[in-house]
Amino acid sequence: MPQKPTQGTFDLATKYSPEFLCFPFKCLMGTYIEALEAGAEAIVTTGGDDNCRAGFYAEVHRRILASLGYNVQFFVIESLFKHPRDFIGSIRDLKGKYSWWHALGTIHFCYDLIAAMDRIQERIRILRAHEKNKGDFTRAWRDIEELFDTCYDRQDVRETEKKAWKILHSVPVELWDPKQAMRIGIVGEIYVTMEGHANQEIEETLAAMGVEVVNSQYVSHWLKQRLQILPWRKSHMEKIIAKAKPYLKLDLGGHEQENIAHMIDYWEKGLDGVIHLMPFACMPELVTQSIIPRISKDLGMPIVSLALDEQRGTANIQTRLEAFLDLAMGKKIRRAGVPGLAAR
Amino acid sequence: MKVGLPRALLFYYYDPLWQAFFHALDIETVTSGATTPHIVDNGVRNSVAEICVPIKIFCGHVVELLATDVDAVFIPRMITVEERKRFCPKFLGLPDMMRYTVPGLEGRLLDPDIQCRQESLADAQDYESLAKMLGKSGREVKRAFAVASEQWEVFRRYHRSGMNIDEAMAALNKKENPVYEPPKNEKRLTIAVLGYVYNIYDSFVGMDIIKKLRLMGADVVTFEMLDDGSVAEKLQRYSKTTPWTFTNKLLGAGYDFFEDPKIDGMIHVTAFGCGPDSMLGRLLEFIAVDHGKPFMTIRVDEHTGEAHLSTRVEAFTDMLRRKKFPVR
Repeated sequence: MPQKPTQGTFDLATKYSPEFLCFPFKCLMGTYIEALEAGAEAIVTTGGDDNCRAGFYAEVHRRILASLGYNVQFFVIESLFKHPRDFIGSIRDLKGKYSWWHALGTIHFCYDLIAAMDRIQERIRILRAHEKNKGDFTRAWRDIEELFDTCYDRQDVRETEKKAWKILHSVPVELWDPKQAMRIGIVGEIYVTMEGHANQEIEETLAAMGVEVVNSQYVSHWLKQRLQILPWRKSHMEKIIAKAKPYLKLDLGGHEQENIAHMIDYWEKGLDGVIHLMPFACMPELVTQSIIPRISKDLGMPIVSLALDEQRGTANIQTRLEAFLDLAMGKKIRRAGVPGLAAR
Repeated sequence: MKVGLPRALLFYYYDPLWQAFFHALDIETVTSGATTPHIVDNGVRNSVAEICVPIKIFCGHVVELLATDVDAVFIPRMITVEERKRFCPKFLGLPDMMRYTVPGLEGRLLDPDIQCRQESLADAQDYESLAKMLGKSGREVKRAFAVASEQWEVFRRYHRSGMNIDEAMAALNKKENPVYEPPKNEKRLTIAVLGYVYNIYDSFVGMDIIKKLRLMGADVVTFEMLDDGSVAEKLQRYSKTTPWTFTNKLLGAGYDFFEDPKIDGMIHVTAFGCGPDSMLGRLLEFIAVDHGKPFMTIRVDEHTGEAHLSTRVEAFTDMLRRKKFPVR
């Protein structure tokens, strides 16, 4: 299991990656080198043949690592539906001498684990804005992560999740009026929206300003969409994707249509604004970014688009977030006419 | 009906096809002029800051066309022209992007989906929606596609006979091609120039790099002079190729050129902010090392200074010449 990315990771990453490659590629590059230095023997990653660069990451990573002298084995997991043989093949290589039953059980266990953690994180994103002592939820989350780290089967996951909820409920929060709290949605490229260190812990920054956060990207949702075998079960995403069609006709291979759909969906759910995060020069998200001013105008909802890269200066994002929140707050007051808000 | 064609992006590859297509349908076309600093300025003003230069230039050409009396600007949504490969996401979202960023385009946009398995678009299926947009019958559109792809095949044949795109276009229009006379130089070089058509043949962005090289006594080969079959063959050995049509062509051409003993060196021309090229460039560097051939990357953008390009090109050719004809 690789470590969380740090400044050192990013330094390694920028040193060995092509300059114009997107930020997630660089982060992975750094993470791989660190993991290999720590003794990793193989790399498991996802492939894909959509037209986002992510589908081709592994090929370039492998060659760069080889040129640095790391001849490491790559397990590239391709799409289950488009390349069923490759998918099964890579699982077979991975499972080695374990039985298929065991492999399936492991996949199921991993999914449950991720889904449980995602559920808890989703709640933390809302609650964190109201914590009494700054950093309580971050600490609680760290404890919960450690608990989950000791899970070995699905039974463990279920029990740990119960414990985790208990920890969560024991964190002191200030009472609040749900109508008054600002709620902001986060959409964007999957890596930078999920990896706190890549987005300069934007969720914590927002929480410190008293803003509840709804994030659109979860690993479990992504996995569910990729591995969903039952055709009659439709995910939330498939239901709302039609909303994006007038703005963007085609799926471009990233999450751009989903992001547009989420923006509209969040507006309909009464959120006060949306923050769009993307890595610098991300190909699909640049298209979203181009369309955002129009969506914002049509909906009358403040949307800000932030491009992230290895520059770690915080003033830029801080300033833009503050300006954005002021704007969203003004809008909220006008929309709802909540008198108490004006004083805050 | 008068249709405007922006002189940008795939114009340089597909213009003969679209010209023949609209001609067959008896629709008047207007092509925007060559890229000027003014067009680039308009493009920069109307697009997001981070997007790649070719898209900004495209945007400028669209603005230029909208200022004329055209009824519609033709921006096809290029999805796929071969099996299992697609275009860069920015091409797929191009009409949407333009519609929402260029003011006044909505309602004057002609954006058919191009989804074919052949590069000549001879097997285009979706006639009806395009016919509806143009106010013609599906049959007429089908016939126009047939005429157009034939014309385009002629254009491609010119390439394969060793002409670059400018020369092939002139030959196709039966214009006198300026006879290219190589300067008298015993020490001739052959240099491969790799890059997308919209970077190399747009003389604003590409700064006529081919002409510059020729003036220095180098013969230039480009990817479109290769046979598509041989390019595909070169790539068959590799488990996974890039997902984008033209990037893949360049990669295949790169392998071909590096293996070709006649070629002395290669220049990769890439635009600032190009996504696929960020990967392609690194792959080409690795192949160059494997084959021990000189390789240079030139990154072009909306700046107009030519000195950097001239200096680097001169230095590169000098180096190649020393390598090939050692002075004792």
